[in-house]
Amino acid sequence: MTSRETILSKLHAARQPFAGLPPAGDMIPVVPAEDTGPAALRARFIAAAEALSCTVTACPDADAAIRHILGLVGTDSTILSWDLKHVPLPGLGAALAGAGIAIAAAGDASVRAGLTGVDAALAATGSLLLASGPGKPRGASLLPEVHIAVVAAGQIVPDLETWLAAQRAAGLEHLRQLNSVVMISGPSRTADIAMETVMGVHGPGALQIVLVGES
Amino acid sequence: MDVKARDFIPAAQVALSDPALRAAVKRATDTAAKKRLATMFWAGRAHGEALRQQAAQARRRALRDLPALLEQAEAAMTANGIQVLWAADGDEVRRLVLDIAARHEVRRAVKSKSMISEEVALNHALQAHDIDVLETDLGEFIVQLSGETPSHIVTPVIHKSKETIRDLFVRELDMPPTDDAEAMTQFARGHLRRAFLEADMGISGGNFIIAETGALCLVTNEGNGRMVTSLPRVHVALVGIEKVIATVEDYATLTQILPRSSTGQTMTVYTQMIHGPRAADEDGPEHVYVILVDNGRSDIYPTDYAEALACIRCGACLNACPVYEATGGHAYGWVYSGPIGAVITPLLTGLENASPLPHASSLCGLCKEVCPVDIDLPRMLLDLRRDLDEAGHTPPVWKWGIRGWAMVARSPRLFGLAARAAGLGGRFLPPRPPLPPPLNGWTRTRDLPEFAPKSFRQLWAERQKAGKRDD
Repeated sequence: MTSRETILSKLHAARQPFAGLPPAGDMIPVVPAEDTGPAALRARFIAAAEALSCTVTACPDADAAIRHILGLVGTDSTILSWDLKHVPLPGLGAALAGAGIAIAAAGDASVRAGLTGVDAALAATGSLLLASGPGKPRGASLLPEVHIAVVAAGQIVPDLETWLAAQRAAGLEHLRQLNSVVMISGPSRTADIAMETVMGVHGPGALQIVLVGES
Repeated sequence: MDVKARDFIPAAQVALSDPALRAAVKRATDTAAKKRLATMFWAGRAHGEALRQQAAQARRRALRDLPALLEQAEAAMTANGIQVLWAADGDEVRRLVLDIAARHEVRRAVKSKSMISEEVALNHALQAHDIDVLETDLGEFIVQLSGETPSHIVTPVIHKSKETIRDLFVRELDMPPTDDAEAMTQFARGHLRRAFLEADMGISGGNFIIAETGALCLVTNEGNGRMVTSLPRVHVALVGIEKVIATVEDYATLTQILPRSSTGQTMTVYTQMIHGPRAADEDGPEHVYVILVDNGRSDIYPTDYAEALACIRCGACLNACPVYEATGGHAYGWVYSGPIGAVITPLLTGLENASPLPHASSLCGLCKEVCPVDIDLPRMLLDLRRDLDEAGHTPPVWKWGIRGWAMVARSPRLFGLAARAAGLGGRFLPPRPPLPPPLNGWTRTRDLPEFAPKSFRQLWAERQKAGKRDD
């Protein structure tokens, strides 16, 4: 018998533990739902992200957001980036080119800043949800010292529960095609040395969230 | 990892005489416990309790349906392009990982934290086959550099001072001396970054596998989990068979209650769901393997200890335990420490190899109270004591002591005499009387408690005689 068969047959043969459990019923969200109107979601997301030591810069429109991003990139000549069609800022490509900023090959670990969009933002915990895929390299949010994430206000959902419910409604097949899904909640951190919190252990030590639009 | 749990008592005595260790462990566990309370119950006691029960039921339903969920998870992962392997024991885990390494010509491996890899001593096996393997969780990296073992399942170097770590980095890595934790961390970042970029294989554990989607779920704060699962060509995850859960809804509860119970964070910084290897037009590993590891778990499954398999390894019971706080993790002598270690070490390694551990508890009950999945650890510690006794592993002197106490407690007359003797003794004996062994095991390090001059029974009798009534 293979180990697979040995293990499974042993478990199948065993008296079933917890046989009397009730079936899964309605579940309560980990963070109780409050007002889920756009303005309230936006305010909660900003407060939660800032509590995680993210810097959130709210920009009224794309032009303001692009100016802010150019300021964050500063004098660097290259950045890591998602394909700009996945970043909700029309005109960003032209602006970067105009400022002489090139996009480095995915995986270049020598670059200081990485630019991404997000697939969703979770108001309850201030988390950014990023899925991998063509034009959305994982390295852009992982390798650099600074991660610049562009979030459109309309991408904010109440919490992880809500996002997963939407995935279920759309069919979990779609979710399974996203080879890597990561929720990023603040900059990389550790407290392993004498309980002192230090940012930027392996991932970015700074998370700059550029929030575009009112709602 | 060799099991040294039989030496708990001498090892605990060494730990107890190390004030620096005790202070470090106390500070760390107190901080974590305080943060846990703040994030678990920020929306009120009732909400936090309801959440615990929701998580507890999710884990128990998963265990109830374990064989079916494992088959479902295997099918889903395979359909996603993950190669699923099964390992009955440590030998098989090591052989499978070495086979994978040979197939992909792996010379260098990087690891994020995996407690199972500690169970099966994977690093030694890889090194014996000339494969460099580097731990990348900062705490585990420090553990590996110093040739030690983790002393806490979440914060492995809870027992080490900043100065010790500084000296270690200076000695082993030529770090320019500094006392700044941030500078030390940045130095380690540079060292480990090179290793990430050069590695051929990443090895991780797994916090959950979602059966219906075949997702391998991981949490890390430092980002090393993402590095290990993104940069090398090959990713191998070692996951205990008990880690499977049913649905994405269960995942939402469990992956959020885990950091709240563990470090008091609302979310771990990087919370990952991995569904498969890279597609042709994206970055990521070309091959993903998940090794489902039994290593004793299926022996626990049919027993009254099945509940122990619900554990999500948050460490809350360690942080709450007065015994863990006094001894730290190393005294427990194997991979897992604290109350959950005192239960699963005997179950996974054999009662006879860990006989002192079920006694390493005051049965205060705090471990159950803080457990995010409500595991009845005190009940299992008691049951294990019974099993130990039935198997003849209770030291005779303990048995005599317990029998003597039972005899006194059952007889009102003897109990009254004993109480009076204790009151008299308290008046005439010094606080630390020179009692003969084995009684000096108590008095060597503790003052005798002060007894009231009159016992409750005496006071009650006098009160009755005086004709007073309790109103």
